[in-house]
Amino acid sequence: MKSKQELTEILDFITEYATYLLGSGVHTSRVIRNSQRIGVSQGVDIQLSSFQKSIIITAHDEHSREAITRVVAIPALPISFERNSDLSALSWDALDERLPLDEIRRRYEKLIAKPRIDPIFVLITVGLANASFCRLFGGDWTAMGIVFTSTLVGFSARQQMQARGVNHFLVFIISAFLASLCASSALFFDCTAETALATSVLFLVPGVPLINGVIDIVDGHILIGVSRLINAMLLIICIAIGLSATLLMIKDSLL
Amino acid sequence: MIAVDILLDGVFAAIAAIGFGAISDPPMRAFPRIALLAAVGHALRFCLMSYASVDIATASLCAAVVIGLGSLWLGRGVRCPMTVLYIPALLPMIPGIYAYKTVFSLIMFLQSLNVPGEGVQYMQQFFLNATVSVSVIIMLAAGATLPIFIFSRRAFSLTRRRKQNQ
Repeated sequence: MKSKQELTEILDFITEYATYLLGSGVHTSRVIRNSQRIGVSQGVDIQLSSFQKSIIITAHDEHSREAITRVVAIPALPISFERNSDLSALSWDALDERLPLDEIRRRYEKLIAKPRIDPIFVLITVGLANASFCRLFGGDWTAMGIVFTSTLVGFSARQQMQARGVNHFLVFIISAFLASLCASSALFFDCTAETALATSVLFLVPGVPLINGVIDIVDGHILIGVSRLINAMLLIICIAIGLSATLLMIKDSLL
Repeated sequence: MIAVDILLDGVFAAIAAIGFGAISDPPMRAFPRIALLAAVGHALRFCLMSYASVDIATASLCAAVVIGLGSLWLGRGVRCPMTVLYIPALLPMIPGIYAYKTVFSLIMFLQSLNVPGEGVQYMQQFFLNATVSVSVIIMLAAGATLPIFIFSRRAFSLTRRRKQNQ
């Protein structure tokens, strides 16, 4: 038997947990399983349905027949696989070790306070990644160098704008434009300029929402799956707009 | 020479996967396995396409299934869900050149509305490239996701601590 007070505390924690996971780019069925697992560890039945920007969650105690429902907004957080892994592991620990709610919350706070990967490190590896991507498409060493530099420019612009909270569509358009503009300098050199230009914007491709969308749809969460895909499509269109701005300026030298 | 080509393909795919993965903040312990999966997947697709003349969509599907199965197998050791390993590993297989040509031919189509013959040609190129990009991306996502549903019990408990002393 849970008192209303206890049930509210459990629901509040699980709500925070579930919205945090959804905000960090975890697919829906995993969030539901993890939340229900924590619910089971506390002896409470959890049901939740998720939309793009909010969730509806109900905690139900079968013994006292008490039920509480909340509708909560999903925060916009940066995608984090580390939080995904750690918080999924936490839900198993909660079940296997029969942790009390205070302990789960303590561990949760500790896990989400972990520092993220250093932005400078990310910047350099993304540059190298895009350069090797250029190589995979048959680019030569000059093109790789140019792609490396233009990725550094485009990605640092993205990091700076995201830190200042600029609208994310604008962020994608401007970063794609800057990266492709820098890459268009390849036209002055004797190299595979078109490959350089094509690769320069690929670091922006929203891979996580695309794949999560497909997983959700196959899982039967069709509504949120389609929302994710539409979201990803919008971002891809933004990349195309940024790239088009460059192409319109230089199209005559590409033909 | 063939072996060197395949190896180089794998190495560059691994670097690409690490970099693109780093954007999504994966746990440090997952990086070696992401790199391995990406290298194996991309090299497999490279072999299928250049030596077995398989088309790009089918080859991507095969590579994605291998990556998916690999992430199921490797996820347990680092307590990571499958998606954490396979999403970064799939990213180097995104058909960037086709996507670029889609955008390029759309722009050229809009620029050549008044030139009858040219416009149709660009429209044709637009649909060709768009079809390839979209089908490759769908194949990648669906192929890697397949193992989750086949081996769901194992896939759902990758982050569970192994039972000790029991």
